[in-house]
This record gives sequence, C-alpha cells and structure tokens, in this order.
Amino acid sequence: MSAAVAPTPTYRRALLAPRRISAGLQHAYIWLWLVLFALPFVTTTLHSLRAPEGGLTLESYRYVFGSFKENLLLSVEVTVATIVLNLFIAIPAAYAIVRHPIPGKRFILSTLNLALYTPGAVMGISLAITYAFLFDIPRTFVGLLGAYVVGTYPLMLVPIIVALRDLPRVYEEAARTLGANRLTTFFRVELPLLGPGISAGILLTFVIVFNEFLVTLFIAGPNTTTAALRVYNLTRTGFLPSTAALAATMQFVSFIIVLVFFKTFGSRYLKGTYLI
Amino acid sequence: MAHPTVTLSTREAVAPSRASLWKRWKGALIGPGLILPAAIVTILFSVIPLIYLVIVSFTEESSFFFNNPVYTTANYSTVFDRYLPHIQTTIRLALLASLVNLVFGYPFAYILVRRVRYRELVRTLMVFPLFGPLYLAFGIRYVLLPNGPLAPVLDFLGINATTLLISEPMTVFGMAMFTFPFMVMNVGTALSNVDPLLEEAAQTLGAKPWQIFTRVLFPLSRSGILAGFLMCFGWNLGVFVVPILLGGTAQQRVLSITLHQKGLSQFDYGLASAMGIVLMALAFGVTWLSLRFSRGALGA
Repeated sequence: MSAAVAPTPTYRRALLAPRRISAGLQHAYIWLWLVLFALPFVTTTLHSLRAPEGGLTLESYRYVFGSFKENLLLSVEVTVATIVLNLFIAIPAAYAIVRHPIPGKRFILSTLNLALYTPGAVMGISLAITYAFLFDIPRTFVGLLGAYVVGTYPLMLVPIIVALRDLPRVYEEAARTLGANRLTTFFRVELPLLGPGISAGILLTFVIVFNEFLVTLFIAGPNTTTAALRVYNLTRTGFLPSTAALAATMQFVSFIIVLVFFKTFGSRYLKGTYLI
Repeated sequence: MAHPTVTLSTREAVAPSRASLWKRWKGALIGPGLILPAAIVTILFSVIPLIYLVIVSFTEESSFFFNNPVYTTANYSTVFDRYLPHIQTTIRLALLASLVNLVFGYPFAYILVRRVRYRELVRTLMVFPLFGPLYLAFGIRYVLLPNGPLAPVLDFLGINATTLLISEPMTVFGMAMFTFPFMVMNVGTALSNVDPLLEEAAQTLGAKPWQIFTRVLFPLSRSGILAGFLMCFGWNLGVFVVPILLGGTAQQRVLSITLHQKGLSQFDYGLASAMGIVLMALAFGVTWLSLRFSRGALGA
C-alpha cells in the first residue's frame, strides 16, 4: 500500500494542482455510490415517517408491531430455526471436507452447492410442485424451513471451511497427545477457535433468510407469510407509509446486526462469500 | 446366533483382527458420515425437486398430476417459439445490467483498492444492496415518486420522474445496483493482487493513463473482470422484483415473472417447468463458466 503513495513533491502543492483535483474526483466518485447505496433505505425511512397532513410521525410504526407482528415473529422463528439446522449440517460437513478423505470430493461439493446456483424462481416452482404433489407439505413452516436450509447452508459452509483450513493441526494433535478423545478435542479445542468463521456463517444465513421473499412467494400460504413476503405483497397494492415502515424496520434490524458483527469480528471471514 | 458356543469361540480367535478392520472402516466411514446430513437435505430439497421439475416439463399442462399423464415435448417448442422474446428480454436485461456494473464497478474497485483508506465504511454501506433487490427497487420507487423526497431536486433539474420510473434504463439501473457489490468484490480482489509498482514503471516509461489501463491493468485483472461479469450476469438472469416495481410490461417479460404467472396463476405446470429448466440451464452455464474463471470461493 505504501508504494501507492505519490512521490514527495519538491514544490509546495497548489490547492488546484491537477493531482489534487483528480484525487478529489476519485473520492467524490466513491461517495456518490455510497450515497446511492444508502439512498433507498433513507427514502424508505423518510416515507414511513410522513404524516398524512404533513410533518413527521411515528404513527405507521404502530402497524409494524400491530398487524405485521405475526409476519415479523414468523420471520424471526424461521430464521432462528434455519440457523440452528444449518449449524448441525454445515459444521460436520466442513470438518469432513477439510479433514477427511472423501472419494469424489469435488463432485460432492458442487452437488451440495446446487441450490446456491439455482435461480430463485426455478427453486420456487420446483419446490411448489414437489411440496404440493410429492411431499404433501404445501404452505407449511416445514416447507419454508427446508427451502431456506438447502439454499443457505452452502453459504455457511464456506466461512467455516476457510476458518478450519486456517486452523493449525497442532492444537488438535496437542489435545490428542494429552489424552483427549476426538469428540472432546473438537468441542473443547477446535470449536471455540472456529468461532469467527461460524459467526460469519450465522450472519450470512440471517441476512439472506430474514430478507428472502422470492422462493417464499412460491411456497408460502396465508399462515406462513414472512415479513419480507408481506412487504412484497403490500407493494403490489400500493405504497403506503406502513409498508415503508415494515421495509425500513427489516433493513434497520439487518443493518444493525451486520454492524455489530463487523465491529466484533471484522470482515475477514466474509471474504469470497455473499457479503464482501 | 443359532450356535452361541461356536460364535463365542470364533469371536475370541478373530477378535483382534476384526477390531483393526473395524478401525480401518471407521476411518473411511467418518468422512462420508459427517457429510450425510448435508447430502440428505440437498437430495430432499434440491435434487428431487429438480428431477421432478424435469419430468413435469415433459407433460401437458397439469396432466402429470392426474392418472394418465400426457407426455409431450410441446412445452419446449412453445418456450422457444412463442416465448422466445421473453428469453431474449431476460438475457438482454441481464447483459445490460452486467455491463453497467463493469463500466461503473471497475473504476470503483480501482479507487477503492488504490486510494481509499476508509474501506471499512465502504464495506459497511455496500451491505445495503445485499439485503435484496426488493427493498432496493422499493426504495428507488420512493425516491422517484411524484411527491418523493427528491421531487424538488428533480423538478429543479427539469427531469420528469414518472417517465423515468417505468422504463428500461431504470430497470437496468435497479438490477445493476443489486449486483454492484459482486462486481466490486471480484475486480477488487484481482486488482489488489496487481503490484502498484507495475503502474508506476509503465508511467515512468512514458505510458499514457489509458495505455496503462489497456496494456497493464486490464490484462492483469482479466480473470476478475470475467468472474465478476459472469457472476452479475448469473444473478441478473433470475431477476424478478425489479422489473415489477421499476419496469413496464416490456421489461416484465422475463422468464422468472412469466413462469410464476404460468405456474401459480394459470396452473400450466408443464409450461412453467419448461421455462424453469431453460432458465436454470442458462444460469448453470453462466455459473460453470464463472467458476472456471475465478479461483472459486473454496479455492478448489
């Protein structure tokens, strides 16, 4: 990075030197995009605060905790359930992929990632048909859960695999030499060291499942409408401040959780995944 | 079990070798055993539904679910005949959005890697598009509504917001904004592996800025560009909500929206499945290419 710094000038820099103008424009370009990224959220929030007779009000947030409460609760429930199931699936799988010889590893890996690369609408229609006519679980909580787990556990796999690869085997060998069996070694030594990688996986699952609406649109019913799907349904009928309030709440919660994660663990384990 | 005495005696004799055999088998079985839950979930909720989708796509309308399903390839000829414009629209919109990403994302990634010290802030704010295209399209719509917060600014500039709202450029912009971080991520990774000294050397040797780009930066970051472009293209092929909220009927003729209408409103499961298979084939092809050009998330 230090190599990128401009060579020291032998003259006193003028305020409008070409180099300065160019640097200023470059930063302005970055800031333009940063404003664009935040703008939809900011305007959604502003719209949600707008009172019918002008001025600002928190009135529309009554709906968020009123008629949208069930949707929000369902979203939280299904997100938490997905995260728990993902952990039980992804941690052993990551361990097997990194530490154990498996015949046809590359083929298995790409099959496991199948759902990740399927467009949402295709996954939606295939699950809608299968749930209705083969599994007989249309419009149920279980159906939602299955779709979310299969779509997100590959994303949880990636940071855990990265963390496991970074973990020197010395710790495991030391614990084993000192007489701990495989299970004890895993739970007392390796699992705590994998903390940041696992948290990154939890964050990814949360961000996606909490805000997923497309697959949900195909497989959810009136009793299994998540908050994100509710936002979509409401945008089809109009652009009320209450809809904006729900959308703003969803984004705000997601953003706060991402922020807390970045402050605690940094973004190292999210490299090369869905988040930057 | 029928002759306990015999089994006992043989077991005593064979015990050590059997134990070592078990140990060897256990070593080989642990790996597949640990991966088993993942495999079961994938087979149940991804492999079986996709196979089912392929079968349904070869049946007439919803006849697969009656006693005597009618098998036919008519769905595919309908898709490639009557719905060819939809396939073209899907590909055109995705291509345009990915191009916008490349044109605007490359400079962004370059400046980010070479000049910017507040990278954590950029990373944090770049999270907003990743919450999904729904909120994004929804928010853009609020920006451009006649009484929206930007209305005075747009009025001042003489821009008619409503004509802007339901148009192809707006749809492409909305799609591009969702995939912008993917482009920046891929190009940024490639660029951060390029030594800045190479640029300085080229400059010292008299290269003009555009020559530095075409002769040094572009060739060295080509893999990142390809991977980023294909990743954005793949995501944008499955676009659904952006044309609904920001586009007109012309932009809403994409495969995702059409298959939703055919499948869930008109119950023409055969046709919807065939559209799904075509869309999936497109997306998998693109993903396969992009995985070949990038190192892959798992470094495999």
